[in-house]
Amino acid sequence: MTTLASLGAVVADPWFPLQTLAQAGFPAPMGPITLSHYLFISAAMFAIGLLGFLTRRNLIIMFLCTELMFQAAGIALVAFSRFHLDMTGQSFVIFIVTVAAAEAAMALALVVLLFRKRESLDAQEWTELKG
Amino acid sequence: MESRHGSSAAWSLSCSTDPKGPSLDLVINPLVLYSACGLGALGVALALPRRNSRVPQIFGALLAMLAGGLVLLGLGLKAGSLPGQGDMPQVYFYIFSILALGAALRVVTHPRPVYAALYFVMTVLATAGLFLILSAEFMAFALIIVYAGAILITYLFVIMLATQAPTEDLENALAEYDLEAKEPVLATAAGFVLLAVLTTMMFRGAGELPKPPADRTGEVLLAEMPRKIDAALRAAGTLPEGAAVVVDASGKAAVDLAARSVQVRGASGETSTVALPADLSVTNVEMVGFNLLRDHPGSIEIAGVILLMAMLGAVVLSRRQVQMDEDAKERHAKSLAAEVAQGVETNP
Repeated sequence: MTTLASLGAVVADPWFPLQTLAQAGFPAPMGPITLSHYLFISAAMFAIGLLGFLTRRNLIIMFLCTELMFQAAGIALVAFSRFHLDMTGQSFVIFIVTVAAAEAAMALALVVLLFRKRESLDAQEWTELKG
Repeated sequence: MESRHGSSAAWSLSCSTDPKGPSLDLVINPLVLYSACGLGALGVALALPRRNSRVPQIFGALLAMLAGGLVLLGLGLKAGSLPGQGDMPQVYFYIFSILALGAALRVVTHPRPVYAALYFVMTVLATAGLFLILSAEFMAFALIIVYAGAILITYLFVIMLATQAPTEDLENALAEYDLEAKEPVLATAAGFVLLAVLTTMMFRGAGELPKPPADRTGEVLLAEMPRKIDAALRAAGTLPEGAAVVVDASGKAAVDLAARSVQVRGASGETSTVALPADLSVTNVEMVGFNLLRDHPGSIEIAGVILLMAMLGAVVLSRRQVQMDEDAKERHAKSLAAEVAQGVETNP
């Protein structure tokens, strides 16, 4: 019965492109976008950023991947802010962006320094640092 | 903040009350989630940069996107049984999330750093779109200005500064370290195990987002802004001649939010009640501003110190004179010699 009701709501939703499919009895009533959708996007983006950081050998791309992870955290915070109707989440994203900017400035200065020393951006050039 | 308590009835969380813990089953079929994680891991592992052929890369990217779509479909099917439909534009959510995840995948897999940075701009734009759907307008535009406008430009500058001059041969234009991923299988496994754990822990119940009509929690802030009310009343023409909004000793306007009215004092000192204009509302920027400056003033100072320190650090680091390493010098000389030899060969 709930399936039928949500099917009707899907048909009534003007934004839904599968209207005609739903009218034809297509058995996939997609529900509203919930908090979980945003959390999944955030977690997936974080995972992609993490594995990029682990797999890529170019120092610049590695730092780009940390920015991806910052983005993912931002999505989760804004989604929670919307869910709780509390603006603190959005204020936190401002600080995330601040820290990301500071990190980018420092990291890129270091990358330029390292590049001048070895003429290469390969992270594996610096394996002797692991001690 | 008052809005936090005032809104507690407005949001619904159909969380499981099972003492054994949160139930993933409420949100998505665990089988779908974990098989999609496995599929995505396989796809991303294939999509990582590799030396010989591009076909597995394209196939892997498609597989990863399919896995992402599968999870969204699984979430949507479970959410379909939620009471009440959200009236947010859902299509935009799907468009922006596919763009964001696809571009993020491309950042990780594209062998050329410049393209990776440009794909990151696309991720930022898509994320800004998601923020707009979440009615976080200020953050959306701040993200575009700061990330796409400032941080990414810095990245592009560094990419230009720190790449060897390309030779005529196309294959040689790509550096050795961009062509191949290190430990693709282990890293992908680590990333997707993390994803599975994160989603399992976070999906604690179908949290339905409050609908826009319920989202008027910022209205308590109206009392703090008597001049805004004044201007709105004047624009609507409902303010009597010479009258002004009544303001108490702490600077708050005498607003009655339940009746949506405000007290005004006329020119001769008598007070009357005027209805607020229907379109008067507190914008997202005002809400974020009040939250930031009233609830977290210390954090702003700390953020300022962090930025100052980063600036000083970057200046100090980049002013230092660096000598090239001995073996790097040798390599450099060798490559120059090879180039000269090649030049002699091609134009005798």
